[in-house]
Amino acid sequence: MREDISKISKWGLGLVFLAALLVLPQVLSYSQREIAVLLVINVLLVASYRLMTLTGEWSLGHVVIMGVGAYASALFAKRLGVPVPVSMFLGASTAGLAAAVLSFPLFRMKGFYFLIGSFAAGEVIRLVWKYFSTPFGGPKGIKLIPGFPDIGPISMFEPENYYYLCLAVVSLSLFILYRIEQSRIGLTFHAIHWQDKLAESVGVGTFRYRMLAFVLASFFAGLSGALYAHYIGTINPTRFDVEEMVFVLIWAIVGGTNTFFGPIIGVVALTIINEIILRSLGFDSARPMIYGALLILSVLFLPKGLEGVVQKAGRIFKARKAPEPTVRREQNA
Amino acid sequence: MRLTSTPRRISRRELLLTSSAAVTMLATTGAPKFAFGADKTVKIGFLAPLTGAVAAWGKPGLDGCQIWSDRVNNAGGIEIGGDRYKVEFIAYDNEYDPGKARTGAAKLIKEDGVKFIMMLGGDTWPGVQPMAEREGMLVSTLLPSDLTPDTKTLIAPCEVHPIYNVTGVQWLAENKPDMKTAVICAQDDALGKPSVATYLAAFEAAGIDVIDEPLFFDPATTDFAPVMTRLLSGKPDILCLDTCYADYVHPLCEQAFQQGFQGTIISCTADFYPKIIEKTSKEFMEGFVFQFPDFDDPALNDANVNFSKPNEFFQEYANRFGESEWSAVSWEYASIMDLWADAASKAGSIEPGDVLAAMKSSGKGKHAFGDADWWGEELFGIDNALVGNWPVVVIENGKAVIKEYKSIPDWWNQHSDLVIKHFRALGQMWDQRG
Repeated sequence: MREDISKISKWGLGLVFLAALLVLPQVLSYSQREIAVLLVINVLLVASYRLMTLTGEWSLGHVVIMGVGAYASALFAKRLGVPVPVSMFLGASTAGLAAAVLSFPLFRMKGFYFLIGSFAAGEVIRLVWKYFSTPFGGPKGIKLIPGFPDIGPISMFEPENYYYLCLAVVSLSLFILYRIEQSRIGLTFHAIHWQDKLAESVGVGTFRYRMLAFVLASFFAGLSGALYAHYIGTINPTRFDVEEMVFVLIWAIVGGTNTFFGPIIGVVALTIINEIILRSLGFDSARPMIYGALLILSVLFLPKGLEGVVQKAGRIFKARKAPEPTVRREQNA
Repeated sequence: MRLTSTPRRISRRELLLTSSAAVTMLATTGAPKFAFGADKTVKIGFLAPLTGAVAAWGKPGLDGCQIWSDRVNNAGGIEIGGDRYKVEFIAYDNEYDPGKARTGAAKLIKEDGVKFIMMLGGDTWPGVQPMAEREGMLVSTLLPSDLTPDTKTLIAPCEVHPIYNVTGVQWLAENKPDMKTAVICAQDDALGKPSVATYLAAFEAAGIDVIDEPLFFDPATTDFAPVMTRLLSGKPDILCLDTCYADYVHPLCEQAFQQGFQGTIISCTADFYPKIIEKTSKEFMEGFVFQFPDFDDPALNDANVNFSKPNEFFQEYANRFGESEWSAVSWEYASIMDLWADAASKAGSIEPGDVLAAMKSSGKGKHAFGDADWWGEELFGIDNALVGNWPVVVIENGKAVIKEYKSIPDWWNQHSDLVIKHFRALGQMWDQRG
């Protein structure tokens, strides 16, 4: 009975959260809606990164993989005239394909070596974009990328409408990512992370599973890149450099990576602080310094990340709500 | 007998009463025109990097604009269509990111109601372009390489980067004819490449031999020792630092100094050059050629110069922010505001379309360094760049000195084919970009 109530309250909470996300653009200013679009895209990026980290490997090339999706989708749409929704899917698939190819050299390495290897692979891809002006546009990148087509009178240039599109795509993607993590495949990813030799000894093909995690994570990172490219209308190699990757790492670390929602909490909290609160307080020039200070403080005082705070708050809330155990009441009597 | 009195402390209530009475009296009896003359405010957007690697080309410009607006507002504002307007700058840090630039443009246009936006341009302009075009917003860039035939509301009224770099090479060839060989390096990005194309054209026109392929280094480079070793391996007379950011010019100069370079350095900018001198030596930096003067230079009082009271502007900048903080862009955005104010007064309107039409009505404009022409069709596909004279600046005895004003159109009329040839070779013509 209590389990049923808990399930119902979870669903209720989920519905309230969804309703809040749907109403959100109505309470935001025009520029805040722009920020909301980029935030939703970054949620997908950081959630896909977490899938990658499930097998224990931290990559420094995830933002470049996002760029692969962005470049591929932009080129399919601009050069080949592929409809944008299709080109987005093709862009995401290209990112997955690139990850599959990169898996062969990269998964010969582990831990720190994988980290450096992924950085090097990412830089090679970025240099290719820079060096070959045709078709990648060189250092200036690609401009005038076709936007998502308007749906009847609904203009996809407007941030409010694009926000709903992104929300739908990202929600579906998060659902798929969540289901993967909860499935047997997800459990295998965890097993490889904590006991890869033991997993191998019981017949788990660790290379194949690592590759699968990398390809899936890259597909969704590529999708986030495609969503970005067709909204902003321009991409260049600098947009996907290691500095951007550092932001993804910060979001994941500050949010925490133990739960599915940790990195999402991280990106949402830090974006609101950086893009809305600090800007509205007039700290434009001091933002990097304050952002850095917040990072240091959170590492020092929130070692489990923001997800730890949320979990703690949840436990306190549950403890207050739960009825006193019958046994204790009887003892007291 | 000496009378003494203990100073009486004024209570908060008394202070408030006295102040409000004074304000009421001033308002009713008629304050001087200059203090209360401007009854309206026009908002101008400043959308540039204020943090990050490119902040040196944004933040000092915003500082310069504050001085400009204080000057104008203290003088009673600008007279436009019979009203006097005060000017208020609203800044948004785009971090040199096109996505953030789009957000910034949306805020400035839709929420703040600005009538004109000043940008650094470059990578950030394509993010702003659709919004600016839909809203008919007048936008300025410091980088004319953003111009294409489609960018009808984008103007480059101050810098015709990188074309003015030809004047430095021309001066060098005329004044140091024994310098016959050169090498070039630049960061591999949207600023570096068109500038390299321009320097290649200028060296070719001047008969100076570029002895090696231009060296493009990655913008993430931090160790410039190998870059400089390769550059100096051919023993060039001239070391060309192209349009490198300040973060690169400084270590490159340090490396050239440490590796014993004896020739002449030419560069588009030498931002914060006193700091380079500190790291090298006055003797090493002697003869360094670049394109951006300090505004305390007496040559800026030339009758042809349109920038208002440049020496006072520099002094005020130095007082507020420190002389060593002066950079290439400290005056540029302010000079664009001079043009905007002039055009708005002429148009009798602050609306972007009216101001743009007034600005370009005669085909000429009052550029900071003298009267200039709206130009650019051949190179950018649109005549939205204001081009005229540009100064050649040389460091002498530790101080930047204007040596000469040279005409960019005169050089262009003789050598345009060379620029177009090198632009095309590096894929920098407007029809080759993106």
